[in-house]
Amino acid sequence: MLPWLLRRVAAGIAIVFAVVTLAFAAVHLAPGRPFLPPEGRPINPAAIERLNTVFGLDQPLPVQYARYLGALVHGELGESFSRRRPVAEVIGNALPNTVLLAGTALLLDFVLGIAIGVFQAAHVRRRSDVALTNLTLFFYSLPTFWLGLVLLLVFGQWLHWFPVGGISDPVLHDALPLGGRILDRLRHLALPALTLGLVGAGGTARFQRAALLEALSQDYVRTARAKGLPERAVLVRHALRDALLPVISLLGLALPFLLTGAVLVETVFSWPGLGKLAADAISARDYPVVLGTTLLVSAAVVAGSLVADLITAAADPRIRLST
Amino acid sequence: MARRARRDSGRRFFRHPTAAVGLAVLVLLATLALCAPLVAPILPSTQIDITGLQNRPPSWQHPLGTDLYSRDVWSRLVYGARVSLGVGTLGMLVAVSLGGLVGATAGYFRGWADSVLMRFVDVGLSVPRIFLVLAAIAVWERLGVASLILLLGLTGWFATSRIVRAEVLTLRERSFTEAARSLGARPWRVIVRHIVPNAAAPLIVSAALGIGNMLLLETALSFLGVGIQPPQPSWGNMVADGRDLLTAAPWTSLFPGLAIALVVMALNAVGDALRDALDPRDSR
Amino acid sequence: MVVALGVLSVAACSRRGGCRGEYCGTLVIAGTSDVTTLLPPVSDAAIDRDVFDQIFLRLADLAPNGGTIGDSGFVPQLARSWEWTDPLTLVFHLDPRARWQDGPAVTAADVVFTFDAYTDTTIASGDRTALSHIASVTAPDSLTAVFRFRDRYPEMFFDAVFHMRILPAHLLGNVPRGTWQTAEFGRAPVGDGPYRFVRWTQGQTLELAADSTFFLGRPHLRRVIWRFASDLNAAITQVVAGEADAIEVLITPPNIKRAQDAGHLTLYPYAGPTYSFLRFNLRANGDASHPHPIFADPDVRRALVLATDRARMLQSVFAGHAKIPPGPMTQQWQWLWVPELTVPPYDTAQAAQLLTARGWRDTDGDGVRDRSGKKLSFHVLVPSSSAVRQQYALLLQEQLKAMGVEVLIDQMEPATQGERLHAGAFDAALESWNADPTPTSSVSAIWGHGGPSNFGHYGNATFDRQVATAASAATPEAGKAAWVAAFGTLAHDAPGIMLFSVDNIAAVDSRVTDVRIRPDSWWALLWTWRIPPDKLNERDRVGG
Repeated sequence: MLPWLLRRVAAGIAIVFAVVTLAFAAVHLAPGRPFLPPEGRPINPAAIERLNTVFGLDQPLPVQYARYLGALVHGELGESFSRRRPVAEVIGNALPNTVLLAGTALLLDFVLGIAIGVFQAAHVRRRSDVALTNLTLFFYSLPTFWLGLVLLLVFGQWLHWFPVGGISDPVLHDALPLGGRILDRLRHLALPALTLGLVGAGGTARFQRAALLEALSQDYVRTARAKGLPERAVLVRHALRDALLPVISLLGLALPFLLTGAVLVETVFSWPGLGKLAADAISARDYPVVLGTTLLVSAAVVAGSLVADLITAAADPRIRLST
Repeated sequence: MARRARRDSGRRFFRHPTAAVGLAVLVLLATLALCAPLVAPILPSTQIDITGLQNRPPSWQHPLGTDLYSRDVWSRLVYGARVSLGVGTLGMLVAVSLGGLVGATAGYFRGWADSVLMRFVDVGLSVPRIFLVLAAIAVWERLGVASLILLLGLTGWFATSRIVRAEVLTLRERSFTEAARSLGARPWRVIVRHIVPNAAAPLIVSAALGIGNMLLLETALSFLGVGIQPPQPSWGNMVADGRDLLTAAPWTSLFPGLAIALVVMALNAVGDALRDALDPRDSR
Repeated sequence: MVVALGVLSVAACSRRGGCRGEYCGTLVIAGTSDVTTLLPPVSDAAIDRDVFDQIFLRLADLAPNGGTIGDSGFVPQLARSWEWTDPLTLVFHLDPRARWQDGPAVTAADVVFTFDAYTDTTIASGDRTALSHIASVTAPDSLTAVFRFRDRYPEMFFDAVFHMRILPAHLLGNVPRGTWQTAEFGRAPVGDGPYRFVRWTQGQTLELAADSTFFLGRPHLRRVIWRFASDLNAAITQVVAGEADAIEVLITPPNIKRAQDAGHLTLYPYAGPTYSFLRFNLRANGDASHPHPIFADPDVRRALVLATDRARMLQSVFAGHAKIPPGPMTQQWQWLWVPELTVPPYDTAQAAQLLTARGWRDTDGDGVRDRSGKKLSFHVLVPSSSAVRQQYALLLQEQLKAMGVEVLIDQMEPATQGERLHAGAFDAALESWNADPTPTSSVSAIWGHGGPSNFGHYGNATFDRQVATAASAATPEAGKAAWVAAFGTLAHDAPGIMLFSVDNIAAVDSRVTDVRIRPDSWWALLWTWRIPPDKLNERDRVGG
């Protein structure tokens, strides 16, 4: 177990290192440079030169790379060009918002998805199953931001049930009691989390249904049925345990999807999270933030897949851990 | 023997009613796209009357309405189908070919080729695709359609390679491979003539689903301002353009959005049914 | 008994939501991008300025319709009065009531320190060149600041007061100049203006609180909060939904309609400080040593100007909420919009004639004119950040297609476009400029020979001379005549097609009264706005 773990961790570090190097090359070789004035204002070459010096951009590229790596080893991520504060602080401000959104969306995704998938498998080929198949297929096929825009329009602008952006009310939030504050946060979280969660749930439900149907066709299930066990017991006690595993492994794949979908959803709902931070940083050529977020995201994905593999291995001794 | 197997697959495919509908939808859309000049006489870039006919709701002359530039939405939808479906399909072809090749090579040869290739795949899978594409776009200032296809393909093959590798690993141990090898066939020949056809099933399923992913990705890129360049219509950039007009002219983004959802749905339904039909182990 | 009453009243106050009366309003402004830094000399973003305009004062500020020549268009701020002791010496007398928000009085030493900072090359402020006419600033006593100029020109007073926001020497004196770009002070500034900085939640909100002891009058709005949205449409959605109270521009007809239909918003039109145009590169794309194969020819440029129906495009994009500038001018320069300056007509016949006369004919029947094997085809750079300019690009493409001119649109990120412009690596570009209250700085920078923003390499000695005359005109009338002449020359040379100057329309919640907006800095007069006590809403009242 341990040698496998060590190997995977080492491989993970190597992958993250490779990703960061690629990102470094990409941002520096991209056309367009940072510190240009906002459009429509005259350029100030002296200021740009000054900023280049302050942030070390006047050094040759290999020197910059070496410096970046050296700082990285000490846990320093540098300073953001556009926000003029440490990258760690910038990411630290945005990360909890993304975690909140992604976490809630994941919860919605899996709870809803597994429930629907199990229900469908239990009522396979009946009308409810067919209807749900089409429904989950529909939600799975929607572009996430398009769903977000529609939900925003209907529930935010027309019905006024939910706010239209941000993570909390800028004025009232602090004056509310604890219960009010939680409610305020939930109201702001609802639409973006629903957008991501519904699309994800569609996929999870389909996957769970297939996995459970596969498990139900196994021999041991037939044996259980033959023994006279009620269908529900067969489903829950035997087949479900088997069928949950592949779904859990989906967790590993869900993370990149959430981070990807989150960029667009965060933009639509003005949610100050990591996705929006990264997209803004790319267009502003804010190199340290781009590299910092890339580092964080790839590390999270590598860790996520490792954890998913560990869970799968721990839960099912039949599965041998392969490199 | 083979013919009966194929007929069996066909029967298994059509057991899924949704798949049949999906296939019909895809064929219809593809036909519309190919016959665009016949079904959409107005050119997609024609600005009919920029002060008089902007943002008109659907009517007899313009069945899906007009957009901000007084262009006919139906024409743009049909011509946009060409671009979106074309980019999606070609991008998928690139991705599936590359993924298939890499997966097959890794699975067949194993050893260090396998390790190196799969590490590479891990790197690719670790970075969310949209970051990869955004970064690549930042490097190439302006993307033509060809570069976009290439880019979508080059960033979309990782998952396919994993799937193909898994298939090849099992197939490798099967008797016909042993037989071919013992007859002295060279590795490439074994791969191409024996393994790939048998690994075709997951590849085909991957391909069907892949087009859908490409479409959604192209939409996302257009939303971020870096997709197909104007005035060429694509469903993605139609949705993006119409996003500011959701209240004023919802039809400009509603119809392409629905079209995208419809195609992706159809592809997923077809993909599911194909998986069912082509998987010989499935006894249901 | 008294204690019981006190407790009861406090309880009642907090239950019903505290603040009542004249000084309770809370204004939430929807912003479209986050603030970079609040240290004035190192900032050049409009939203930064919107915020630090509330925190820092100038010596004197522009009156609502003030002109920039002489000192009659200015009102006292930090300086209570001023006089010219000789043609080159300007003496300011500071208001003794002015205080920094952390206690000490504002003194002339702060003014000296500020001038030193703004002209310091290490800090590299964008206003450094504008201050080059000022030789020195000295402080003979704590309330007197003396400005000595190098030469006489009409806008001396403007230069002395407009560019600098007076900074606290006692707080910034010890901060090394090299670190001002990333200084902590820029994230939590202390000023002397009507509002105090409270907090900034990066990417989300920035809060300011009124200084009730502000010496020029207590602001009625006790809180001003900026709420950052992803883009203009998200910001307008917030205002329309009532989650924000104000936004400074609406721009497109659908947005204006949304604001009008919202019912709780009042629209305030004001002269905008921007103008937009299509610029031609007169030198070859990427190679400034050779002339551009198409645009070096002034007749071709004139033909292109004649071939664009700017009025129609304006109507399509803005539905009348914009004007076509007859020259490189913004609506803020009201006094320049005179009948002598006319917009060139839309005349496709003449345009076609000109092009044919210059040898551009469609010899191969592909719909595009050509000459000796070269097509009349060029790329236009458009930033992906401006929906309006993207619209114009597409409309231009169609219009010029009818003339046999092929326009290819290159949509790119603003950062990339900026780089291409500075490198001269473009054929044509759709640009938009946010100009100062006076034309002298921007016109020569953008169109003058050797100007730092003259990306198209336009150069005409007559034009430069006329601009210099206009800049040194002693009276507004003389200046007007000179500018008219200069813009006439420019129109004849056609180094670009002047397209539009937006009618800025701000939308503010109707409960806010006394709304005054100044074109050069829309929120500058915020501290004079009020919300009547009977119109207070929940947000205004909270936080007793």
